[in-house]
Amino acid sequence: MTQGRRRALAVLAALALLAGCSTSGARQAEPSRATSSPTTAARTAGGVEAARGFRSARGYRATPIPVRLDIPRIQVTSSLDRLGRARDGTVEVPSRWEVAGWYALGPRPGDPGSAVILGHVDSRSGPAVFYRLHRLRPGDEIVVTRADRSRVRFVVQRTEQYDKLRFPTDEVYYPTLTSTLRLVTCGGQFDPTTGHYRSNIIVFAGIKT
Amino acid sequence: MRSRTVLIALVAFVLATAAACDSNKANRSSSAAPTQTTAHPAEHEGATGAAAPGSPTELGAQFEQLLGQHALLAVRQMRGVVAGQRDFREAADAALQENTDALSRLVASAYGDANGDRFKQLWQRSITDLDAYADAVANNDAAAEQAARTALVADSDAYGSWLAEAADGRVEAGDAPNDLRVHVEHLMKQVEAYAASKYDQAYEIERQAYEQLFMVGAPLAKGSLTPKLAARLDAPPEKLRSAFAMLLGEHMELIIDAQRATFGGSPEFKAAAAQVNANTTVLTKAMGAIVGPQKASEFQSAWGNHVEGLLAYSTAAADKDEAAKAAAEQNLDGFAARLALYFSDIVRNVLPVEPLTKAISAHDTHLVGQVDAYAARDYGKAQEMERDGYQQMLGVAGTLVGAIQRTVKPGLPVGGSQTGGGGTARPAR
Repeated sequence: MTQGRRRALAVLAALALLAGCSTSGARQAEPSRATSSPTTAARTAGGVEAARGFRSARGYRATPIPVRLDIPRIQVTSSLDRLGRARDGTVEVPSRWEVAGWYALGPRPGDPGSAVILGHVDSRSGPAVFYRLHRLRPGDEIVVTRADRSRVRFVVQRTEQYDKLRFPTDEVYYPTLTSTLRLVTCGGQFDPTTGHYRSNIIVFAGIKT
Repeated sequence: MRSRTVLIALVAFVLATAAACDSNKANRSSSAAPTQTTAHPAEHEGATGAAAPGSPTELGAQFEQLLGQHALLAVRQMRGVVAGQRDFREAADAALQENTDALSRLVASAYGDANGDRFKQLWQRSITDLDAYADAVANNDAAAEQAARTALVADSDAYGSWLAEAADGRVEAGDAPNDLRVHVEHLMKQVEAYAASKYDQAYEIERQAYEQLFMVGAPLAKGSLTPKLAARLDAPPEKLRSAFAMLLGEHMELIIDAQRATFGGSPEFKAAAAQVNANTTVLTKAMGAIVGPQKASEFQSAWGNHVEGLLAYSTAAADKDEAAKAAAEQNLDGFAARLALYFSDIVRNVLPVEPLTKAISAHDTHLVGQVDAYAARDYGKAQEMERDGYQQMLGVAGTLVGAIQRTVKPGLPVGGSQTGGGGTARPAR
């Protein structure tokens, strides 16, 4: 190989090197961006030290129980009793006509899941706490106050009437990871032979964001 | 009753995880997408409601899983571009291609082969444009960024037009392009944040991107189904399965992020770890929705040990400290044994401790293997383990909800409520 040819090759090699540098220069100029790559001890140190100090989320605090219900649209203001399941498997109902009750075996309002609040539509002699529940329409607000005085607000999505024989148990009680609220009372025709209404009115509400 | 239910569900989860671990290789091909077929799911009108392969719920679940995975793979691929990690990028590219192939096969099974081909073409174009966007960000090239952004908006519109036609009116005209626009916006924003070393923002957006695209799975499945079949995807048990699949898949992926960030700088690890904790908090609340607050607290404690144990192993792996790795594995075994005792005790020894311990250990082994592969810079294997681990979650969620179905439902109140005295009775209310 002649000297001139060697020089030419050297120049070409240098140019090739420069070209190579320029194509990747933008990335290589900021090597610290490659932070997740196990490439250098220096980079590793920071992540490892941080990982050594890692603590998982703990100290779960239960959401306080609901104590009061307000539905401005139908002038409802009520304290809340706690309800469970009756011996026959049906949901317990409030013992007082004028007070609503929260199904305490289900989620607390604001937690993931369907919180359920029940109230009577009427007593044996006149209107009860959920007498006007059927008037709720999409967009109406429902406010639940909890034991720590915090409030959680829900917005009505729909109001439906169901024959009790076709009560939508899954839609009302089945676990969900969405925070929802169901208000339940009686509606439809009253059956004097059984002493009960034939239907339930259910208000489906979602948490107000 | 509730606590017992929860524990059984948790135990079922653990068992399912272990079972999935054991059968990873055997299931690998089947976990991608169903075999190509021209049969339209809507033709199976008379099929049972069980989530058998090809059922509407199975279709929805697979779309969710693959779309969620796409979001995460795209995030990592784009970050690989910005960081100039050539080896990692090659592995990420391959994983993304594999995911695209599986998604396209699934689209073909739902909408027919021609639509599968068209989808693949559109999807690959958007991946190319995302890659171009990441490249532009890496090179601080504003003009190239704008060009890639414009191309991605066009990709979203093209996807929307395709789906509107393929679904034949079963999806809202504006929904599909909007879904994809939100997705590409997430991906662009996260890579911008990552390139600017705003890791908190980058990892938070990553989680949003995953959840958003995961939830596009059900509408995409519904577009291929009759209204009657599509309604099955809205049934409460199916929605619960979907929600748990999303959270458990997210847990797996965020742990992997944190494991890998152990090899990076402190700010990036903290950002990744913050999202792991956010997922744990949401998962705990989700468990609380089923088992009540006291048992949710117990769940969080047990889960916390699991997470800390895995990251302790990652720390040891990053340190290349074999003794510390062995100690961390021993601790993980201890956590597994204690967890098994806890679960067995809660279900009053209905489930024996030994298989429970093995199941939990198998789950740990999967994530340990992932970080070992990453530490060895065997990114192909790390991606493979990521894929397998993520795919397990579909079965996990199904088993979990199956257990809930069997144990929770009998405890729900029966029928309607007797909430009226009749004092204001009238013909119709």
